Amino acid sequence: MIMIFRSFVLALVVYGIAITASAQLAFNPRDETPEEFPSGAGRDETFYACTACHGFKLVAQQGMSRQRWDDTLTWMTEKQGMPELESEERKIILDYLESTFSPKAPAGRSAPNPFLKQ
Amino acid sequence: MIECIKNYWEGSVANKIERSIAELYSDDPECADAAVFGRKTNVDRRGFLSGAGLAAMGAAVGGAIPFAQNMPGGLIPAALAQGQPATPAAGPAAKPEPKTVYLSFPGKNDKLVVIGEKPLVAETPEFLLDDDTTPISKFYIRNNGQIPDTAKEPDKWKISIDGEVNKPLELTLGEIKAKFKSQTRRMVLECGGNGRSFFTPPASGNQWTNGGAGCAEWTGVRLGEVLKLAGVKPSGIYTAHYGSDLHLSGDASKPTLSRGVRMPKAMDPDSMIVWAMNGEPLPNIHGGPVRLIYPGWAGSASHKWVTKITVRDKEHDGPGMTGTSYRLTIKPMVPGDKADPKNFKILESMPVRSIITSPAHGTKIAAGTRELKLRGAAWAGDLAVNKVDISVDFGSTWTQTQLSKPKNRFDWQRFTASVKVPADGYYEIWTRATDSRGSMQPHVAPFWNPSGYGGNPMHRVAVLIG
Ligand code: HEC
Repeated sequence: MIMIFRSFVLALVVYGIAITASAQLAFNPRDETPEEFPSGAGRDETFYACTACHGFKLVAQQGMSRQRWDDTLTWMTEKQGMPELESEERKIILDYLESTFSPKAPAGRSAPNPFLKQ
Repeated sequence: MIECIKNYWEGSVANKIERSIAELYSDDPECADAAVFGRKTNVDRRGFLSGAGLAAMGAAVGGAIPFAQNMPGGLIPAALAQGQPATPAAGPAAKPEPKTVYLSFPGKNDKLVVIGEKPLVAETPEFLLDDDTTPISKFYIRNNGQIPDTAKEPDKWKISIDGEVNKPLELTLGEIKAKFKSQTRRMVLECGGNGRSFFTPPASGNQWTNGGAGCAEWTGVRLGEVLKLAGVKPSGIYTAHYGSDLHLSGDASKPTLSRGVRMPKAMDPDSMIVWAMNGEPLPNIHGGPVRLIYPGWAGSASHKWVTKITVRDKEHDGPGMTGTSYRLTIKPMVPGDKADPKNFKILESMPVRSIITSPAHGTKIAAGTRELKLRGAAWAGDLAVNKVDISVDFGSTWTQTQLSKPKNRFDWQRFTASVKVPADGYYEIWTRATDSRGSMQPHVAPFWNPSGYGGNPMHRVAVLIG
């Protein structure tokens, strides 16, 4: 009897936890703003063209040459469903991407030195 | 050389030293050495640090460097170079401090590092991979599309098998559980892009360090048994997987990702249809109620929320199979150059990798400590790990670690070691594993490719004694 009672309480507890956990499972990405990213001509245009599907952080963690950025834009339009960019807009965006996220600003390479006071 | 030194001093502001050093080294490491620390690279590739340079490098890393004479020329100290992916700052005007964003997700450890929120991608810092079995709370997250809602009735979830089979099937998860013998295996699941951030120049995609991997107990049935029931025709040589996660654009006609494997891998007794992880129902964020697991191969083949497996008569060409996605070069290419699509072959088994899980990168250790106790893990895709060596003197001497046997095939192997150090100061612990075919982890990410697969350089952890 006691055993049955105990497992009943246990079942209730476990069930209760399961309900709260599943109710919380949705993940809402934080809203990004253009201002969080390095300033420069074309930043806002690039931000809005590139955040319909994914975060700008996916863009900003890269470091690529103009050629590779150009290939990336082509890939976005041909395979991922990004609307074709007008040639003027494409140039503005490429200029920003090339000057801001170049191979010289290595992606994800630097972190604060753990042994120095910041 | 002169130009580089001039640029360095012009751009140098005391509190920007980390950014500047990283950039400078990525341009021309030997020149950076000369500019920053007055270090000249000798013919034997060991760097020579003058007294003043040694003091400057010591100041930059935060302590004296007992084995400084062993540091290879052009090497960026790990304390300055390593860490979790961060948004790079741009140009001289940009703010230098990288922001690490930690994950906030129900049931997940809050030290997981967010690589992207949309799609949600988060990696496990090496020091969190210190358990023999990675708890769900610490397991990395990779999504390619939108995260589906949690399935309300898991056992009614349907999976269909079609294509080059004699008898196309549609089975519910409940039927799969009832019809086939289940098995549990502890196996490594690793993102194909693990280690991508180590490539120079940067390769494109999520900038994983070593944390796109974990080792869990997976429960399910052999995929091969299910395929046999459908009766694979002799023409069926490749699988194609589909899942229920929506493409990021919201276009339901576009599969988010559709990868596949050669038939022998699909028939491997450890390739599974899985519904439990560490004894719990497979969490939604890990592809629950049901996913595929192809241990040792790029994680994206292990389709989450799997709904359909089509057997094909040629290498699958879905999203994630073509171009440079999940592909390695056939003939090595010039890093950063334009890729020739014909020069690529599909990525299958992951390469050998080892990580130090204790101490953590950045640990301060009590002054006077003369022995370091280390723990770590190593794995090698389809292969086993034969040995793991560690060095605390920049690779001059190596100590073989005590390496455990895997619990079953595709389990990782844990290692421990104890090494003596001569003095207080700054040390880097380096680890390199050798797989059962004799391949050893290289010093740098090898065979550059545009999307950065196969990046398995030695793991380096910086510690400071005193
Ligand atoms: C219509 C949707 C859409 C738009 C708009 C879009 N992308 Fe993407 N992008 C995607 C998808 C889907 C992926 C693949 C995500 C994944 O698998 O994690 C992706 C991935 C990327 C990646 C990672 C590439 C890699 O190698 O993994 C980069 C960089 C990128 N996009 C840049 C851009 C830029 C720059 C823009 C704006 C000019 C842009 N995207 C606009 C859909 C889009």
